[in-house]
Amino acid sequence: MTEPLLETRGLSKQFGGLAAVNDVSVAFEAGRVHAVIGPNGAGKTTFLNLLSGEMRPTSGAVLFKGSAITGLTPDRIARLGIGRSFQRTNVFTELTCFENCWIAAQSRLPTSLRFFRPAGRRGDLAAAARDSLEQCGLIDRQDRIAAALSHGERRQLEIAMILATQPELLLFDEPLAGMGYRESQDVIALLRRIAQSHTLVLIEHDMDAVFSIADRVTVLVNGTVLETGPVAAIQSSPAVQAAYLGAEEQP
Amino acid sequence: MRPIPRSLLGILLVIVALLAVFPQFVERYYVQLATKIIVMAIFAMSLDLLVGYTRLVSLGHAAFFGLAGYALAVLQRDLGLVSLWTTLPLTLVVCALAALLVGALAIRTSGIYFIMVTLAIAQMLYYFANDTKALGGSDGMFLATKPTAELFGVAIFDLKNRTTFYYFALAALVASFLVARMVLASLFGRAIDAVRCNEPRARALGFTTWHYKLAMFTIAGTVAGLAGYVGAAQDGIVNPAFLSWHQSGQALVIVILGGMGTLYGPVAGAFVLIVLEDVAAGITEHWLLFIGVFVIAVVLLLPRGIASLPLGDFAGRLFGRGARKRAAAEPGDD
Repeated sequence: MTEPLLETRGLSKQFGGLAAVNDVSVAFEAGRVHAVIGPNGAGKTTFLNLLSGEMRPTSGAVLFKGSAITGLTPDRIARLGIGRSFQRTNVFTELTCFENCWIAAQSRLPTSLRFFRPAGRRGDLAAAARDSLEQCGLIDRQDRIAAALSHGERRQLEIAMILATQPELLLFDEPLAGMGYRESQDVIALLRRIAQSHTLVLIEHDMDAVFSIADRVTVLVNGTVLETGPVAAIQSSPAVQAAYLGAEEQP
Repeated sequence: MRPIPRSLLGILLVIVALLAVFPQFVERYYVQLATKIIVMAIFAMSLDLLVGYTRLVSLGHAAFFGLAGYALAVLQRDLGLVSLWTTLPLTLVVCALAALLVGALAIRTSGIYFIMVTLAIAQMLYYFANDTKALGGSDGMFLATKPTAELFGVAIFDLKNRTTFYYFALAALVASFLVARMVLASLFGRAIDAVRCNEPRARALGFTTWHYKLAMFTIAGTVAGLAGYVGAAQDGIVNPAFLSWHQSGQALVIVILGGMGTLYGPVAGAFVLIVLEDVAAGITEHWLLFIGVFVIAVVLLLPRGIASLPLGDFAGRLFGRGARKRAAAEPGDD
């Protein structure tokens, strides 16, 4: 087993009396696609928010490359090389696709407190933006305002933005949510390509997609880990079938 | 930041040229009125940096306008500084530091709370000035003299001359506009775009968003200080009204009237509102009623302000560039 890129130890998040995430310890290995699945309300999105810094855990620790990042703000965590997508696609809707990715690339500069030189002269950022649009198949849409894109394209744009920040680890919160079959297939293909050179943590409802992309799966139920293992083991686990898969497959 | 269309740039240059020759053709009263308008235009433009470009709605922006006036008065009276070259930079530094401090407190909040915090801080300054004998209390402070502009012992221009003062104010307006344009076109300006459009997304990409909001708050406060300096120097007096929420509120009305997020919109807004006030006040003592109706009408009919009037198209035809042709060549660009 390789050294985990990201690891949680006893991670918990309380909302009042409710333990949304309860003592979760998971190791995410470098170069793998690790899916987190579970029924609605299992605490998947809360768990992801704890990883990306959108929420602070009540207790427990998050380690990235062996050092604690618990409680850091989202911008600090992003700068360490962890990019994330949101369940409700989150882009700069007033700006064009190109500008969206341009700004994403800019976020990697040590600081943007630079007031004098026109930003338009930064050919390096323009090149990075175009490169990420190319990877996500949006290069012919680069001058379109993000608000005018289809739902699937907007999701691709969000992924392009994350790629433009050159992350090592990408966190995806239900990247296939609300998408038609064709759009889903495009995004699945894109995730597969990204997985060749990145580590992915994927929260997803679509079981077929999860089992076709992921290497490892963690099943979350009521905020606690039911089981973690390779895809085949999870698919055949009686406990998982009883708690989750079985319930869904019944007519 | 969307670049200003070329056709509109032409119009702006024509307007600046008209403003430059304007004092040669009118009575002194109108030169003074125009100076007053320019002061308000600089002030409103500085507020536009916050309201229009950063979506930080401040109702306490007069704090920096008034602070600059008091800073100039105190520098003159207590330190004996009369030169433009010392009092202007010192005043701007005072305003920048104050804005940095106020901003550090205020930008921890957002939305309605930001409005309340900025209003509260400005009102504290108002009552401080109003109740402090050393600052002249409610009467304010007189300025013994206009700032002097000497270079190697020779006066290069004389601000006591009203027309010269007008050109001084006009130069301050043009300089403010150019500095604002430069800042908005820089990497910082792009980061501000990101913060305005979607702050959570900007943060998740790695932008430490409060740095940029605080920097913009400081820049806006400093430019407001420039307006306050010129305003106090023109009036020869600074009083608590400089700091009042009426002053902040009027700038906000001008920004909305002129068009947020355009810079030139608030300049147009200042001209329209103050000229209208001047005309209406000459006709009836119920002039405020007319101003109110006018503001409501503009907001209802032109939600994006005076700046959204199709002046660009008009200028395009005027300068033979064909704005319509360009629009067809760039589909989807707004």
